[in-house]
Amino acid sequence: MLFNSYEFIFLFLPITFFIYFYLNSKKLTILSKIFLILSSLFFYSWWNIAYLPLILLSIIFNFFVGEYIYNKKYLLYIGVFFNLGLLGYFKYMDFFIENINFFTDYNLSLFHLALPLAISFYTFQQIAYLVDSYRGDTKEHNFLDYAVFVTFFPQLIAGPIVHHAEMMPQFNNSKNMIKNYRNIALGIFIFSIGLFKKVAIADSFAIFATQGFDVATSLNMIEAWLTSLSYTFQLYFDFSGYTDMAIGIALLFNIKLPINFNSPYKALSIQDFWRRWHITLSNFLKRYLYIPLGGNRVGETRIYFNLFLTFLLGGIWHGAGWTFVFWGVMHGTALALHKFWQKLRFKINFILAWFITFNFINISWVFFRAKEWEDAIKVLDGMFFGEIILPQILSSKLSFLSTGSEKWSSIFYSTPEVFIWIISGFILSLLFKNSMQLREKFIPTPFYMLWTILSLMSIFILYRKSEFIYFNF
Amino acid sequence: MKLKYKTYVRILFLMISTILFSYFIYSFYFIQNYPISITNRISFDAKIGFIKQNIDLTMIDTIIVGSSIGLNNVQGEALEKYSKEAKGVLNLSVYEATPPQIKQVLELIPLFPNLKRVIYSAQFSDFAYAGKLKDYNSKFIIDYISNNLSIKESVKFYFKSCQDIFFCIKRQWNWNREYQQSNHFTYLGFDKSGSVPLEIYGKDIIQSRWKNPHRDRQSIYAFRALDKITEDLKKKDINFIFVMQPYRQPLVKKYNHLKPTMQKFKQKVEVILSKNTGVFLDLHNMMNLQDEYFADRSHLNSKGSLISSKAIAEFLDKESKK
Repeated sequence: MLFNSYEFIFLFLPITFFIYFYLNSKKLTILSKIFLILSSLFFYSWWNIAYLPLILLSIIFNFFVGEYIYNKKYLLYIGVFFNLGLLGYFKYMDFFIENINFFTDYNLSLFHLALPLAISFYTFQQIAYLVDSYRGDTKEHNFLDYAVFVTFFPQLIAGPIVHHAEMMPQFNNSKNMIKNYRNIALGIFIFSIGLFKKVAIADSFAIFATQGFDVATSLNMIEAWLTSLSYTFQLYFDFSGYTDMAIGIALLFNIKLPINFNSPYKALSIQDFWRRWHITLSNFLKRYLYIPLGGNRVGETRIYFNLFLTFLLGGIWHGAGWTFVFWGVMHGTALALHKFWQKLRFKINFILAWFITFNFINISWVFFRAKEWEDAIKVLDGMFFGEIILPQILSSKLSFLSTGSEKWSSIFYSTPEVFIWIISGFILSLLFKNSMQLREKFIPTPFYMLWTILSLMSIFILYRKSEFIYFNF
Repeated sequence: MKLKYKTYVRILFLMISTILFSYFIYSFYFIQNYPISITNRISFDAKIGFIKQNIDLTMIDTIIVGSSIGLNNVQGEALEKYSKEAKGVLNLSVYEATPPQIKQVLELIPLFPNLKRVIYSAQFSDFAYAGKLKDYNSKFIIDYISNNLSIKESVKFYFKSCQDIFFCIKRQWNWNREYQQSNHFTYLGFDKSGSVPLEIYGKDIIQSRWKNPHRDRQSIYAFRALDKITEDLKKKDINFIFVMQPYRQPLVKKYNHLKPTMQKFKQKVEVILSKNTGVFLDLHNMMNLQDEYFADRSHLNSKGSLISSKAIAEFLDKESKK
């Protein structure tokens, strides 16, 4: 079920909300948790019930391993191997076989497995649980609490990647079992912003990005930049919109999910960017990969290597494909270079720093979005070596800038508003407060009520329903 | 003005409920008064609604199809009045319909159990393009018109029709401004048979449309569609009459390409008709209409379409005696 669907907004969410709090009001706490788990599994199964047994198996296995894992290294290995094995089998098997076939004379047949929804997210959350249980850092060992922590529907599908230590206590806090009007008001406000970001903004950018990446066979320079920028903004508004909706929905249930975005396109360095973009993933990679690899406590060369490796694996986590590997390589290299740059203690003007960072991110998203290498090369070729063909509205006055003989044409001819969207994308992501900053400012006044209502009007364009990009990872 | 959170949430829900309630009220009003989106053509949507509300399907023995040349140039009511043969006429024409689209429209024939003939009213310019109607589902339209949709299908359909409220508002706005003016070429005020006689005279005439002829472009796919139409009608034992409507004579005289284009067009159509079934009626040469009957180069005004309809009625009666 999508957050941006009628069935979710008008049926699933209100029904779950009222029954959950009704059960709690009758002091049926255990029943309310069971209800929340069943609702979340129903929410999960809405797409494809075939993978319900997989998530159930994963929850049961990890919980019971977690029970006995303390100080037992072999159980940790078994647990991590099981989780990565599932992820590897469902997500990377075909990629692996394709590469074996490519580099050898074998002709192994592909499995053509559909990626179980949310597997990348719940796998990471449960690996973290196992590692912390092994270290003795987990306190709660109640199956219901554990199952609620993993399946809680607002975060189940695409994060934020929550940590058991910040989630499980919340489900046991008796204050959270009573309807809280502040959280309801705030939750609806954050949800409405997320809905608007997704439905009104991201899905509009998606039209232009799809045109450029998937439809056009070649792109001139302006078209290529419009394409890449459209995707850069689509991805941000799509994923941060989803996260806002998840945070807002969780708040209705008095659960605080961690911040996942903090105006990432305002970043002045690649390190800064990863402190602002998909923060929960960065935290996970740092805590469970970078630090165990030695973190900053090792030699300089090893630090660079650890950074590189962490982000290479981060890239692979996003998808099974060489474009994702390359995207990880780009970010790993950039972070290592940035670390080296910091050591040299050079300073650059903040506008230049922003410019370099933003463009690096924009270019790297090309590999993230492209379905094939050829698509990425097509867009990058257009961005750097394409002909300059001006838009029709400018061509008469600025024709001397054109290097091409053709008129403004093809893909964006029918959608000249792309320029307005791109400018709006910059303004919204660079000059405005983000939703988490707005959350801090929220007070129950008619102004915020009007804002909430206007954002919620996005439900009137829900007919152009589309999935969230991060559902694929 | 800071409110208590409880009060804030209550007012917020009240306002959201009011908006949603207004939305449902508006949707109901829209469904009752404006063409619901079923196809990607407002004129076809309007026609479907018109048939559902006004036409006794069992009474229809004659269908007129075509583009605006069918919609504007033939008055179904006049045809009924002047013909002894055609006693139940329905104009099923759709603005800008290409021959492949006419073929799609004719998939609705099962709606009319007593249909005897189909009249295709056209001009050579109708055969310039061969686009199709997008996402066209004739079975659904047949069920919708004949009230055979299940409750689930109906709920789904009405919900889908109004879920894009901005589209509905835009359509309502355009409907009043563009489609209800009889002196506009977009007019959709149907007479009893679904025809749209134009009241375009004098200053309402658009000079560019009046003075400039159509290009000689013809699409082979358009003729193939006509071929298929006639073939299908032959199988169903339904008579087919192809009417070539008048074109402004001064233009035919002035522009050298028009006469040969029209002759070639006529020949191609006649070949198709002789191969399958059907008769050809050349109103252009037969009537030699003066400019006072034209709304532009090829569309007739209400006076012209009346004369054209009378001529078709006479032709039908003559044909029946053969």
